[in-house]
Amino acid sequence: MTAKEISAVVMVLSAIAISAWVAWDMTHGGLAASLSEAAWKMLWAIGYSIGLNIVAVIIGVIAVSIVQREEVKDERADERDKLVNGKAMRNAYFVLSIGVLLVLIWQALGLEAVFGPYALFGVSMLAGVTFAISQLYYYRMG
Amino acid sequence: MGKGEPHIVNTVRTLRFHAGEMTQAALAEKVGVTRQTIVAIEQGRYSPSLEVAFRIARVFGVPLEQAFQYQD
Repeated sequence: MTAKEISAVVMVLSAIAISAWVAWDMTHGGLAASLSEAAWKMLWAIGYSIGLNIVAVIIGVIAVSIVQREEVKDERADERDKLVNGKAMRNAYFVLSIGVLLVLIWQALGLEAVFGPYALFGVSMLAGVTFAISQLYYYRMG
Repeated sequence: MGKGEPHIVNTVRTLRFHAGEMTQAALAEKVGVTRQTIVAIEQGRYSPSLEVAFRIARVFGVPLEQAFQYQD
């Protein structure tokens, strides 16, 4: 497994973990009382997600290096990496666009404003997961 | 990395063998791509750009069409 694949797997796992934490918090009395509070909460969640990603990638690279008995090095991106990233980004952009559109429609139909940041957070996590899974798919399947 | 069956086939694995079993890592280093890209090219999962194809052929000192062929 390469460093780029480890990074993609970690991105999927951390997005699932943070989303599960937000969902658990939301359904266990942690639902924000105002739009501003909800937005701050989601900003913190995104911050935690970035922090978790960085730590998990470091741990993942060390763990895989130990298992493979060979140091996993992050090589400089070549033309194939750029192509894979481009395709994965296209898929993520598609999911993000549709997601944002659905959130806007949902809000237009009267969704309580406080749920807006939660919905946008969910959409961004889904787009991130789409990006990472697409990367894995194109790296493995071509 | 195209749709459908690949039309571009290559003899990179054979060329490596005839070059004293050159490793994928060594070829990748000479060509300026990652080892994973060489693996993908050999397995037919990725067709490189014309520039990388020329660089691969040049490493083995063969014409491009000896390293890569187009199949109908």
